[in-house]
Amino acid sequence: MPSWSLKISATFITLFVLAGSFDYARGHVKNPNAPLQPPVADKPAASAAPTPSPAPTVGPLFTTRPGQRPPTITPGPRLTLAPGVVSATLPPISFTHTS
Amino acid sequence: MDPQLVVWIVARATGVAAYIALCLSILSGIALRTSVLDFLATNRALRSLHDFMTWIWIPLGFGHVAALLLDKTAQITPLDLVVPFQVSYAPLAIGLGTLSLDLVVVITVSSWLRRRMDDRLWRWIHRSSYLVFVTMFVHALMSGTDFSSPLISSVSWSAALGIGLLAASRIVFGRLPE
Repeated sequence: MPSWSLKISATFITLFVLAGSFDYARGHVKNPNAPLQPPVADKPAASAAPTPSPAPTVGPLFTTRPGQRPPTITPGPRLTLAPGVVSATLPPISFTHTS
Repeated sequence: MDPQLVVWIVARATGVAAYIALCLSILSGIALRTSVLDFLATNRALRSLHDFMTWIWIPLGFGHVAALLLDKTAQITPLDLVVPFQVSYAPLAIGLGTLSLDLVVVITVSSWLRRRMDDRLWRWIHRSSYLVFVTMFVHALMSGTDFSSPLISSVSWSAALGIGLLAASRIVFGRLPE
């Protein structure tokens, strides 16, 4: 076997492994099973973490006129928000317009 | 892409490729002097391959080391490339890599200076390639992020098995004279 064919084969094998492992590493940037987990030096400040706002309360769904008996409320489905839901500071997107 | 991510990926890819290139270099070197493979002893192509592989693994090994130096998460300093077992979080796993790097530099430089050296001394230095392989393999096993991948793991173990078999046959059946 000529020398150059062995060299080309070995070079090709090495480059194939390089490309394959590069592709694998790019697809698996973080490996939780990696044997080494070096401590991260620049951790973000704890105050920067978002704190969930208290669960917003929903106001009365209807109002009654004077002298009108309030309707009996039958227990129905209640609107509950998960504690992690953060209320937005934007104005509500629904409104009632009378002309 | 984040530059830190690039150096991290380059460090991993070049590490695996340098390991394979060094395995090919060691395999071709052992095959030249094993009595079981005596028909290869005078094979100039194999000898030429053994010499040539140096020029393949040197840039890959350099790339692995340089990328780890640039990687802030790895926290490798230039001193860690020379003095083993100094890294704070994994002294043994990374120190074995440093040890194999130190040894492989000595072996390579001694090979370049072979004509100026005592032949027996050169031979003993060159035999420490076995130690290089063991330290490099344990370094890869203990610190290799991609060793959990079945494909990379099987390639690495296969290369190690090939070297182990050739080394064992050389011990059992003897080596060829120079």
